[in-house]
Amino acid sequence: MTTTRSNASTMALEAFTSSQPLTLGVELELQLLDTHDFDLTPRSEDLLRELVGHSGAWDVKPEITRSMIEIGTSIQRAFAPLRDELRDLRAQMSRAARKLNIAISGGGTHAYQHWSEQRIFPTERFRYISELYGYLAKQFTVFGQHVHVGVANGDEALWLLHALSRYVPHFIALAASSPYVQGVDTGFHSARLNSVFAFPLSGRAPFVLTWDAFGQFFDKMTSTGVVQSMKDFYWDIRPKPEYGTIELRVCDTPLQVDKAAALACYLQSLCRHLREERPFEPAEDDYLVYTFNRFQACRFGLDGEIVDPKTKQRSKLRDDIIRTLARIEPHALDLQALDACNLVRESLTEGNDATWLRQQRREHPPMAALVETAAARWMT
Amino acid sequence: MYQQLIDWFVNVLRAPLAGLRGADPVLGLALVVLAALVLASALHRRLRLPRLLGYLLVGAIASPALLGLLQRTDIDPWKPLIDLAVAALVFELGTRLRPRWLVDNPWLAACSALEAAAAGGAVWLALVALGAPSPSAAAAAALAAATSPVITMATFLEARPRGQVAERLLMLSAINSALAILAVKLWPVLAHTKGLSGPDPLALLANASIVIFGSLLLGLACGVLIDRLGRLHDEPATMPVLQLALVILAALLAIAWGLSPFIALLVAGMTARSRMRHRLMVQPYLGSAGAALTVMLFVSFGVLSTLQDWRALWPWVLAIVLARLIGKGIAIFATARPSGLSWRQATALTLALQPMSSLSVLLVADSFGWRTQLPGAEPAVIQALLIATTLMQLSGPLWTLWPLRRIVDETGDDDDNPVER
Repeated sequence: MTTTRSNASTMALEAFTSSQPLTLGVELELQLLDTHDFDLTPRSEDLLRELVGHSGAWDVKPEITRSMIEIGTSIQRAFAPLRDELRDLRAQMSRAARKLNIAISGGGTHAYQHWSEQRIFPTERFRYISELYGYLAKQFTVFGQHVHVGVANGDEALWLLHALSRYVPHFIALAASSPYVQGVDTGFHSARLNSVFAFPLSGRAPFVLTWDAFGQFFDKMTSTGVVQSMKDFYWDIRPKPEYGTIELRVCDTPLQVDKAAALACYLQSLCRHLREERPFEPAEDDYLVYTFNRFQACRFGLDGEIVDPKTKQRSKLRDDIIRTLARIEPHALDLQALDACNLVRESLTEGNDATWLRQQRREHPPMAALVETAAARWMT
Repeated sequence: MYQQLIDWFVNVLRAPLAGLRGADPVLGLALVVLAALVLASALHRRLRLPRLLGYLLVGAIASPALLGLLQRTDIDPWKPLIDLAVAALVFELGTRLRPRWLVDNPWLAACSALEAAAAGGAVWLALVALGAPSPSAAAAAALAAATSPVITMATFLEARPRGQVAERLLMLSAINSALAILAVKLWPVLAHTKGLSGPDPLALLANASIVIFGSLLLGLACGVLIDRLGRLHDEPATMPVLQLALVILAALLAIAWGLSPFIALLVAGMTARSRMRHRLMVQPYLGSAGAALTVMLFVSFGVLSTLQDWRALWPWVLAIVLARLIGKGIAIFATARPSGLSWRQATALTLALQPMSSLSVLLVADSFGWRTQLPGAEPAVIQALLIATTLMQLSGPLWTLWPLRRIVDETGDDDDNPVER
């Protein structure tokens, strides 16, 4: 069986749907755990069936392996309603999970699951990915938070996407919650992104600033047969033309829904600051330091050092976030996102979820106890 | 011609085995266990059948029902070891159970009570309809309500399934076995009210209460002791030894005090898990010694096979098997959707609950004689139950494994990894 689909089935890039700028949507990939040993358990079909009649406007769907589940909020504009929807979602999911004797957890990786034991969810797309990527598909049992931000058109989407590139390390470091992989401490704060890097179409989007130019790039790629749709790109930030959004994909799933909401609204406030003040114009050279900064955030979290692509100055990520929070504060005020920014500010002193997990590991030596504690943090 | 060949084959086998038994019973046992391992391995490799089936078949082939190489009394001397194997599996089953699940999912609690009651009720109705005396039919019904927790747990350890059906199978087989033991203890009360021989009902009720609460207390004490001694003796390599020693102690005390070792060990497992959480490391079968004993246990189950009088009793046997299947099926399907089960999963769970259990007797009797447990019961009814148990015990691993593997795919055998193709 061939692992690439025929060119006859490739599609042209669809038109960019306009959406209300700065609206938000949050997707969270979550871990399904066995309550006995707290290893991953392939129960997504059971949980999906149990949640069919849920009362929220949110959405729940399968992910690539059966031990994962993805939830998505409705379109939101402010922190409080987004947080409330996520809390409602958490409550309903937790109730269903308890009924099925499973636990749910956030976190970017499961601390000791073995990728070879994971099982692909039976849909055409997931089977295609499994055929194409082989064991990488099962190693992709990692859990991220994706944030969609509404933009008016494709040109604005691409401008904002590239302008945000220098802030990508902020989100990696703030959301980092994946220090453990296959039973060992990797030394990274976000080891999850190392699994994403293995995919050939991961990394950053090409530096084009208009939707027409992006369409030309897309046509060239589809003509090679390497990609068929936008879903085949695993970029850190990618445009989502059917939703009219850009999608930030670098965050690990936080251990608590409040933090997920706070990160989304930090991004929203930052996007408003960039749109309205246009403090700089994105340039191809911004990407000279992109992978270095990204590595620093993954490896050292908030203590990482990043290089400013314009001034070439080095600074601590934590300090850069503090300065950014001060700059975007008026926008956060207008967007009713001050509480979100305060939560982000608190996490700068308390440390990210990776730090919390390492503290828990010191207090609760067995790995299973660590995962159980993380699940309790998400479910309550 | 064929009969002559069979007789010759049996004689060829009997002569050396009889000699070996006379010389050294341990050697005979070792040979049977060796044969069981070889057959189990062949069945597993060539036909992907569970190993347990091989152990059971070797025992059954050697039993009086077929070749008669071993007599039921031959395995009485092994009983302490077999009790230990059962105790290890029951303790392990207890550590897998999370009682809180019954609170989180009340429909599951209802299902567990209903399926035992419906299976027992259906068996009683069927036997009475076929002319069996009511009290004896009630005794058979009580025992038929149970699913073999030993077959369930051993199959679970072999196939390592993960899913709703496997989890519920463990929970339901533990509950219905506990209810069956309770019913066996209370059966003399019913027999007495129906004019059958037996002591005073009030005394029997008091005794049943003592058995239940005493078993619970013994189990709690054992679980607490595993936790306390585990803290003092924090050495992972010898933890299985500590667990095995305490499990033996609890089982022997329960037998000596006339309590239920099954309930005591189940509670011990649950208590140890609840107190120790992830510090409690339980090796499968409590280690390699337990695994060896488990082979012996299943060979013994095979030896206990009986098909005596099956020509006369087959309608009752069929009634027991079918009524049990229907009773469990009705209860599980009735509670499936509200308890969070799909129809496919309900089908798999119904089938997986079919292996029958002689466990309720194994752990409380001094020997393997069932009739001593149910004085006054109609021998023909009990024999029909024994034949049904033989059939559903020998085929037990298939009843459990096939639905988990083929209907709900919880064993992970259907490989979806293209790299390995």
